[in-house]
Amino acid sequence: MDDPAFWHRLQFAFTITYHYLFPQLTMGLAPFLVLWRWRALKTGNEAYAQAARFWSRIFGINFALGVVTGIPMEFQFGTNWSEFSKYSGGVIGQTLAMEGMFAFFLESAFVGAMVWGERRLGPTKHFIATCLTALGAWLSAYFILVTNAFMQHPVGYEVTPQGTLVIGDLAAYLLNPWAFVLFAHNQAAALVTGAFVVASVGAFYALRGEHKAQARVYVEWGTAMGLLSAVLVAFPTGDIQAKYVARYQEVALAAMEGRFESGPQAQLNLIGQPNVKMRRLDNPIALPGVLSFLAFGTFHSNVRGLNDFPEDQWPTNIELLYYSFHVMAGLGTIFIGLMGLANLQRLRGKLMETKLLLWALMLALPFPYIANTAGWMTAELGRQPWLIWGLFRTSQGYSDVVSQGDALFTLIGFAGLYAAIGLLYLFLIGREVLHGPATDHEPDSLYPEVVNG
Amino acid sequence: MVELWFAIFCLMLAAYAVMDGWNIGCGIVQFLVARTPAERRQLIAAIGPLWTWHEVWLVAAGGVLFVAFPTVLAVALPGFYLAVFVLIWCLLGRGLSLEFGGHLDDSMWRTFWDVAFAVVNLLVAVLLGAALGNLLRGLPLGPSGKFSLAFFTDFRAEGNVGILDWYTIAVAVFTVVCLAAHGASYLVWRTEGAVHDRSVGLARKLWIAVFVLMPVITLATAVVRPELFTEMIQRPLAWIAVVMAVAGSALVINGQRHGLEFRSFVGGCAFIAGLLGAAAVSVFPVMLHSTLDPAHSLTAYQGAVDGPGLGLALIWWPVALILSLGYGAYVFRQFRGKVGLKAPRPH
Repeated sequence: MDDPAFWHRLQFAFTITYHYLFPQLTMGLAPFLVLWRWRALKTGNEAYAQAARFWSRIFGINFALGVVTGIPMEFQFGTNWSEFSKYSGGVIGQTLAMEGMFAFFLESAFVGAMVWGERRLGPTKHFIATCLTALGAWLSAYFILVTNAFMQHPVGYEVTPQGTLVIGDLAAYLLNPWAFVLFAHNQAAALVTGAFVVASVGAFYALRGEHKAQARVYVEWGTAMGLLSAVLVAFPTGDIQAKYVARYQEVALAAMEGRFESGPQAQLNLIGQPNVKMRRLDNPIALPGVLSFLAFGTFHSNVRGLNDFPEDQWPTNIELLYYSFHVMAGLGTIFIGLMGLANLQRLRGKLMETKLLLWALMLALPFPYIANTAGWMTAELGRQPWLIWGLFRTSQGYSDVVSQGDALFTLIGFAGLYAAIGLLYLFLIGREVLHGPATDHEPDSLYPEVVNG
Repeated sequence: MVELWFAIFCLMLAAYAVMDGWNIGCGIVQFLVARTPAERRQLIAAIGPLWTWHEVWLVAAGGVLFVAFPTVLAVALPGFYLAVFVLIWCLLGRGLSLEFGGHLDDSMWRTFWDVAFAVVNLLVAVLLGAALGNLLRGLPLGPSGKFSLAFFTDFRAEGNVGILDWYTIAVAVFTVVCLAAHGASYLVWRTEGAVHDRSVGLARKLWIAVFVLMPVITLATAVVRPELFTEMIQRPLAWIAVVMAVAGSALVINGQRHGLEFRSFVGGCAFIAGLLGAAAVSVFPVMLHSTLDPAHSLTAYQGAVDGPGLGLALIWWPVALILSLGYGAYVFRQFRGKVGLKAPRPH
């Protein structure tokens, strides 16, 4: 708290973590909606249209929360991180502007048509509106992940005589290999959230014996997509991501693993508590050689420990980074196991009767959110003490004209506001879930008393 | 190139002001023209699903500021720190009330969100108006090239100013009246029935108020920043903008007199865009004017990004703009036409 950037960091961390709870479901649900609408259009099977209609309402509520919590993020680059914006705006301004111009306009124009316009647009145009909304959501992710990838692994920039960064090679910046891997990994993880939520609601209905046909669609599609995406998160995307970190952010990898001593045949720590003061990992349970293999492809490669790096290059919160990484990786492994089991039962045709699995699927709902959050904490804490890796430190980036009092004022404001809208969200989503998918053709206007609404 | 990007930035802000302006205006006049919960639903339905697309113009204008003038963004946003967050919170409340107000068929739920919608829109108009007032009046930019504004200091429009003083409050009041009039014109065009009829009367009164206040604000601006008008007289582009505003007001009056709803509405759009255009042309190249010493003002030339960034952005920006206008026009067409109320169900 002596750090003048402390409140700024906490506010950004809080608002971005909270914000990302919504887009991950938006992006994870979007492919379901597209696929179901497509199936409904092709086969005329009303069950798929009904599923799409029900999840569109959830999508709409979720999307709205994503928009209102997303707007502060755009502004906070300027308000709280003005020195960073001044330093790197010449580069990251490109993608932040592109995100608004290409992605936000697209999704904001079509989301209303998608949620409210089924009858008005007719099935084909409505399907196109659904695709365009999904495209906008995923495009937005790409632009913001290019921005983040630049902070992790800066490419395509030039330094001006004044010492600020400007764009040098736009193509190199947009095609940053780090961005590709990050995008693939992150989108797969968003699909995990979408799949788990769909399966969870399906399992809830199945266990209660309600909406049986719909419950089956949700559980089956959710577990199929769940297994596919959970595997993709680990391999190849997570694997390549880890190799990039091992290559370009060696010190971050050491901190993620709680590794202090350098050496060959590096062990992968499954459980243990980092003790930074004593420079060791307490109570480790580890797989010897596996870290070397995961990082470099051979069991005897040397993986450097924190002791090899000066302390001013160490990530600033090693303990939290260590736990974030292990929570993410641990949950990711469990997801593959759970979804693998569910698919096994599905192929045997017994999934809808296996109560224990349905309970597990239903109760698994919060964990993809935790895993996604932990994953982002790994990326962002691992990047410390840099705002832009190797170029610009976090301690240089905050707005020095903003007083600590002002920064705390807005943080408290966000805390209160976000607590309230979180309750509102749970209430509205809970209501939709309890109400369930309607069997009739729902009016697509939110305002039944209005003509042409 | 710098001139072009300044124009693009101002154009996007003007587009935001015109398009989100009518949504804000609908919110301000909501309780004056819509007396029953059903009528208020009718008003929200008239705003329609494109409101997020309208709001994106503000976000995208911020993106343009980021790509072209990062230094200006880095000075202005922390300088207005508290006001920016109050605005963000209001936009958040507005989004929630528009999206969720209709979700429950419950009178307490609807009353709550209707009142919230009216209040936050009023606040948004005040904040946007005060922001405009601040940019016209100037900011306490010192030798450090930075500033930090309190909400208020001594309410004088010179020296160590705050966000609110007599001048910026006056601009805020004018903005509220102007956007309310604009919103009422929109409702005249897009609704029928009782809401339409009340909007007709209200739009007439509000536009008269706008035209009465206009010379007052002009005079106040001349007192606070006289050089704006000497610049304006020398710049033909500013004349075009002024002509546009004057023609717009003529269309408003003419449209109202002959019951031509769309003409009157378009006149209001032209009036707002013309005023903002005239202001933008007159302040150029200064983006952040210093009230302490003009030497500390930040110009577009100083604030613009170096390197090939501006040229590169000019390749993709027009493509994105055309696409965006296409989406907006398409969805607008799908939801076009007057919004009315069904006959009340028999009890």
